[in-house]
Amino acid sequence: MSPNEATAEPAPLADAQRPGAGRHTLALFLSELRLVFARTRTQVGLGVLAAVPLLIGIAIKIAGSDSGAEGFIGQIAGNGLFLIVASLGLSLPFFLPTAVTVISGESLAGEASLGTLRNLLTAPAGRSRLLAAKMVALAVFCLAATMTIWISGLIVGFILFPVGDVLLLSGSTVSLGEGLLRALGIAVVISLSLLGLAGIGLFVSSLTSTPLAAMAATFGTFIVLGILTAIPQLHAIHPWLLVYRWQSFADLLRDPPYWHEIGRNLLLQGGYLVVFYAAAWARITSRDIT
Amino acid sequence: MGVAQRSRRWLVPVTAVAVVAGVGALGPVVADASPKLPGISAQDLLAKVQTAKVDGLSGTVRSDADLGLPAIPGAPAGSEQLTEMLSGQHTARVAFASPDKARVSVLDNQAERVWTTDGKSAWAYDSSRREAVKLTVPEHKTAKPEKAVPSYDPQAVAKQFLDAIDPTTKVEVSGTEKVAGRDAYKLRLVPKTDKTTVGSVTLAIDSKTWVPLDVTVMPRTGNDPAVEVGFSSVSFDVPSANTFTFTPPQGVKVTDKKVPSQVGPKRVAPKQIEPKQLKPGTAKADEPTVIGEGWESVAMIRGAQTGRLTGNGPLAQLLAKAPTVSGTWGKGKVLTSKMVSALITDDGRVFVGLVTPDTLQAAAAKAPR
Repeated sequence: MSPNEATAEPAPLADAQRPGAGRHTLALFLSELRLVFARTRTQVGLGVLAAVPLLIGIAIKIAGSDSGAEGFIGQIAGNGLFLIVASLGLSLPFFLPTAVTVISGESLAGEASLGTLRNLLTAPAGRSRLLAAKMVALAVFCLAATMTIWISGLIVGFILFPVGDVLLLSGSTVSLGEGLLRALGIAVVISLSLLGLAGIGLFVSSLTSTPLAAMAATFGTFIVLGILTAIPQLHAIHPWLLVYRWQSFADLLRDPPYWHEIGRNLLLQGGYLVVFYAAAWARITSRDIT
Repeated sequence: MGVAQRSRRWLVPVTAVAVVAGVGALGPVVADASPKLPGISAQDLLAKVQTAKVDGLSGTVRSDADLGLPAIPGAPAGSEQLTEMLSGQHTARVAFASPDKARVSVLDNQAERVWTTDGKSAWAYDSSRREAVKLTVPEHKTAKPEKAVPSYDPQAVAKQFLDAIDPTTKVEVSGTEKVAGRDAYKLRLVPKTDKTTVGSVTLAIDSKTWVPLDVTVMPRTGNDPAVEVGFSSVSFDVPSANTFTFTPPQGVKVTDKKVPSQVGPKRVAPKQIEPKQLKPGTAKADEPTVIGEGWESVAMIRGAQTGRLTGNGPLAQLLAKAPTVSGTWGKGKVLTSKMVSALITDDGRVFVGLVTPDTLQAAAAKAPR
């Protein structure tokens, strides 16, 4: 038996000797989170996302309320709450995927490029658990990214614009509190919508030790999926494409919310996540330490 | 040994792909298995359908149309919405409560269009423009606004087809299926003539309430439905009264209209047109004349703006490529698609029907000038 395999599958004896494996797992997850959120690029990324509502808000404020824009953007001047929804919607096609791509591409390849992956892979934490910690950190980042926009939109929207009861797409009105709750739901749904992409990024990141290559490949995949979604002749495969139902988050603003499309979207994201997480697992557990 | 053991790990993601793809592709098929229902004759089924009466229902309707329609020339402005409704996929929430309450809201991408009436007033609301239109309904015409949108209601669509059943059509019960989680009989109508482009029309009829839940129109050629309108979920509980009321929200532009008669005929109102006329797209044009009967009926529209066709627009290009035909009736261009054929004559008449181009020409020969 080679030393590699001994670390990939720790002997039962080694497991028994370790006091409180659960505590180790928790420590691993926490250190992983610390690692992700302490990175400058993570903080810069979140900073850019926080600036999105600010930029939109200032632009709308300058343009005035009679800009006549349709959709959520046109509603911002009348109700600052829609700044949250519009910012989330506008960040979804580009800013959020970019952020997720950068962080997920970094996750394993970054460690490999620094040589720290070697230490991690030989550590008693186990490779499967390491991968799980990476994925959880990515999921937390997705949520942090959308919540950053939500909070920033809330603050900017409430400062720059009047707020009040929220007009839903169906033409009925709900209280501000329920509107905020629905906007929170949108943030959560969008962060879950990003998990499929995060899974792809994690897998690509496990293939290479160059973070930049992993980011480029993940973002390239995302662009290709987006282009395929835009070609009407390919409608037969559209329901299988990652970004096809991303816009369904707005169904939360109907009265009552329409869950069908959101459910389908989340199932699809789950499918992508399972497949690519399994692939990343197969890759990382069968990988030689270099 | 080590290598073999490690490469076996790749079986896990491969299995994951197979499971995800399998569940995604086969899941709906398994759910659609045909239920076991007692046998029924087509005549009994039709009778049940005609006496079907529900006090109320609500549900989600999906429509998927692929008529291969180009824009119909000479159609009045404002018909874009109707043309749009007749193509592509749409989802709508519908609610109905007898006798005169109805609500249809079409779920667009990040927008919604709502039509609702509580019997006294009717509202149309467009969320993307944030505009609402109010119609005050005269007392004796309470049912009108409800008819304003029946082309989206499977019941109305089905009835339209049922009205057209006459000796030209073979009617049979062709099995059972599950629609919106309910057991339903399939009633299949097959035209006996080969002059139409319609291959068959299948209605799925609920086995408890006898309400049509789904309408599928198959073209004569091809395996994909030309039109499918049906419930994806349905409940026969009477919706609460406030479902149908509409309070114009703040910041919404409200327009008052008091002439409902101008709105009624804009959409397909089954009782106002010849029941034989199966082509809904022609109904809103100025006084279309119907030539022929049953499946072979052809609508003629006069005064098409043929001037528009000489330009360089997409329609002119489409017509330039279309074959020119001539006969005793004159000369014109023929446009054909999977379902709809159109003949545009040089003297500005347009013949449209769910028929073959030859049938169109025959109709043109019979048509009054």
